[in-house]
Amino acid sequence: MTAFITSTGRFLPGPPIGVDEVEDVLGLVEGKPSRLKRRILKANGIETRHYAVDRTGRTTHSNTDMAVAAARACLERSPLEAADIGLLACATSQPDLPLPGFGSMVQGVLEIPSVELISTHGICSAGTMAAKAAFNTLRLGEQQTALVVSSELSSRMLKHTRYEAAGGHDKVDFQAEFLRWMLSDGAGAMLLESKPRGQCLRIDWIRSFSHADAFPVCMQVGSPLDREDARSWQDFPTYAEAEAAGALLVRQDLRLLENIVKLGVDGALRLIEEGVLNVKTLNHFLCHYSSHHFKSKVYDMLEMAGAGIDEEKWYTNLYTRGNTGCASIFIMLDEFWKDGRANVGDTILCMVPESGRFNTAYMHLTLVDA
Amino acid sequence: MTEPVALERPDVLTELGQETLRRLMRVWFDFERRLGKVPILRRLDTGTFTREDHLALLRNLRPQVVEGGRWIARCASSFDRDHADVRSVVIGHAQEEHRDYEVLEADYVAIGGDLTDIQSRPRNIGTEALHAFLMHRASQPNPVDLLGAMWIIEGLGDKMANNWAERIEELSECGPEATRFIRYHGENDEGHLDKLYGMLDRTCTSPERADAIVKTSKVVARLYALQLEEIDHV
Repeated sequence: MTAFITSTGRFLPGPPIGVDEVEDVLGLVEGKPSRLKRRILKANGIETRHYAVDRTGRTTHSNTDMAVAAARACLERSPLEAADIGLLACATSQPDLPLPGFGSMVQGVLEIPSVELISTHGICSAGTMAAKAAFNTLRLGEQQTALVVSSELSSRMLKHTRYEAAGGHDKVDFQAEFLRWMLSDGAGAMLLESKPRGQCLRIDWIRSFSHADAFPVCMQVGSPLDREDARSWQDFPTYAEAEAAGALLVRQDLRLLENIVKLGVDGALRLIEEGVLNVKTLNHFLCHYSSHHFKSKVYDMLEMAGAGIDEEKWYTNLYTRGNTGCASIFIMLDEFWKDGRANVGDTILCMVPESGRFNTAYMHLTLVDA
Repeated sequence: MTEPVALERPDVLTELGQETLRRLMRVWFDFERRLGKVPILRRLDTGTFTREDHLALLRNLRPQVVEGGRWIARCASSFDRDHADVRSVVIGHAQEEHRDYEVLEADYVAIGGDLTDIQSRPRNIGTEALHAFLMHRASQPNPVDLLGAMWIIEGLGDKMANNWAERIEELSECGPEATRFIRYHGENDEGHLDKLYGMLDRTCTSPERADAIVKTSKVVARLYALQLEEIDHV
């Protein structure tokens, strides 16, 4: 048994924000422009992105609002209604409330009665985790329909006031500032059904390989800036003290990040060896690389392995929609599909490398006509 | 008589050569993950590596570097006249590396170590196993499988220079005068890897040979990691 993606939807808050406006929205830390901004923005290649905060730092859409908007956009293209959904699987790295789970909040607004609920937690790969859980539930025959929603609201963590609270320019290092120029907001959704409906995407398989056993943390929120201090944000007497120590900043270890390329390629080679992936017959490759910097590296290493994927098969909308973490691959698939880039019979490989503690996920789809 | 020919990086590998390279890449990725769990190297990643670690690393690498010249020379002498071209490459390689340990010793002294201390240090138990395996394989007729050993050892040289050198200087607070051995390897090993691609096409002439190359790479990867796990365990 398998499952089919019969509809997709996306939501991107507010107008597209160009490179020159990014710091206007997020604000100047201590009134001074960033010295690193240009360099990082140039390397990631993102031209426009969206934020769910306005220039005063006020949140314009909650994470739940965005997830719901993407879910509704997805359902609008389907004869099914919210009440027909058997399973709701929701992913995010930053829910509006630490408790309860993100899925509960999304269900509450969508008003789906008695739904089976899954909330996944992680970073970029959390969306594919939710998709896999939904795919398996349908394959088992326990549900006939599943709505998978993946949403990210990072900008709340990137406002100038966060960095000022952690000590401003004197305390905040490159690792803590890096993601400020990388991440932005958005949501995507997919409707899964156990039977095909019109032109739809058959899910052939979803797989992932996690390497937390072999690597320390690479992207995180929760540890203070002082490396000698082993406390997590929850171990401080007050949350105010945790914030002052920089424990609430989102950070990336750039030195470790380079591992993402070979781990992504390693997973692809495993799937080739296993016989489930054939790059020669593959038609489209949707790769969630977080930055343009990594594209040529992945390309070259696949080429070296004799598993190269022709440049014209690569697709991304990173440059216009931004890096929206776990929502990225959903937003990418939605735009790719709606633009009519695939023909019936085409195979599509989606790849989601997560740098958090290195988890790489792969989803293989085929466009079919019922 | 077969004239020795230069083995250069081919534009396209044979199908078997390409498949073997793919398998070797997987072995390499596994090896890197295993290294990530080795305590002394994990400290490089977590930023807790110290000057003492730097001394211990050099002290424990030296016996293998000394023996390196020997197994490569033994390997060269085990190739018959039908493999004269391969033998030429291996002899050149042995010539280039057989006194590398002198650079390593100078680095040890530069960071405050005692020369007689490092010179008198016996092989650790991981080095014993690695050395014994390499000498054993090098003594077999036409030991093409040792290409798998070169893949791991040369690849590690590249990794040392590109991933370790700067980090070691930063964490053990030393200058480049104490990381010359580690850096030297990175500068040179890329040339070595080019030769290795040429050798891959030359030696992967049957599925059995390809399997032998991959297997030897796995054994060497495991034993190399063991050498780094068993720091000062003699």
